[in-house]
Amino acid sequence: MVRTKEEQKKVFQELLIPELPALFRTALRMTRNREDAEDLVQEAVTKAFAAFDRFEEGTNFRAWIFKILTNTFINNYYRLRDRQKVPSLEEMEEETSFQPSFEGITPEEVLLNTLTREDILRAIESLPLEFRTVVVLVLIEGFSYKETAEILDIPIGTVMSRLHRGRRMLQKLLWEYSMQKTPFEKENEKGWTAKTL
Amino acid sequence: MDCKDLVEKLYFYLDGEVLTEEERKAIEAHLELCRKCCEKYEFERFLWEMVRSNGRNDSIPEALISRIESVIAQF
Repeated sequence: MVRTKEEQKKVFQELLIPELPALFRTALRMTRNREDAEDLVQEAVTKAFAAFDRFEEGTNFRAWIFKILTNTFINNYYRLRDRQKVPSLEEMEEETSFQPSFEGITPEEVLLNTLTREDILRAIESLPLEFRTVVVLVLIEGFSYKETAEILDIPIGTVMSRLHRGRRMLQKLLWEYSMQKTPFEKENEKGWTAKTL
Repeated sequence: MDCKDLVEKLYFYLDGEVLTEEERKAIEAHLELCRKCCEKYEFERFLWEMVRSNGRNDSIPEALISRIESVIAQF
């Protein structure tokens, strides 16, 4: 169906507006900076509209626009200075998970009582980009492994391994933040063991 | 299903990734019976829900929505 430009804009806007909050928060996790996040969203929207005649109506607009967002970020914002060292496999295999071995208190309670939203965002934003993008797309935005593979143009097996490692890194960071806030005396008194798996 | 199988499949289950009906039922049956795996499952579920809900909690600036609308108007 041939549309006028005005009709095209209307359809685009109707599809785009509900996705803007998710695009913005994803841009924020990637750029780690509000100003850059806003510019990134605007740039991705401009590119998306320019390519909108190639979007097949009825297919997954959300995945399509996220792909444009992540590509725009990698091409234009992710400069050499931002590249982080990816932890080695040895570092990754360090003890990273939580052991439910607290007396009279669950690890859920420890985390719930000590971690703030800022801690969680800081942990996510500390992940190296290739892990951070998979963690954000799957765990926060709810994309399937297959959709994430398509968005990032990587094999599904790579999505799964990055997600697994990303989860382990996040757990480790959150546990560290939580333990930094737990007064030592309290640990003794409660008999907590900050043991990890 | 034993504890080792459960650990292998737990994230697929938590992430809502395609499992067969048979696998899903086997996981649920194991969780009913095994306290250790059930604790692990509850903990993982809690942890990732905490990450998800906090990670989704940014509100988009009104100014950005207006900026995007005016960008679209100029296309």
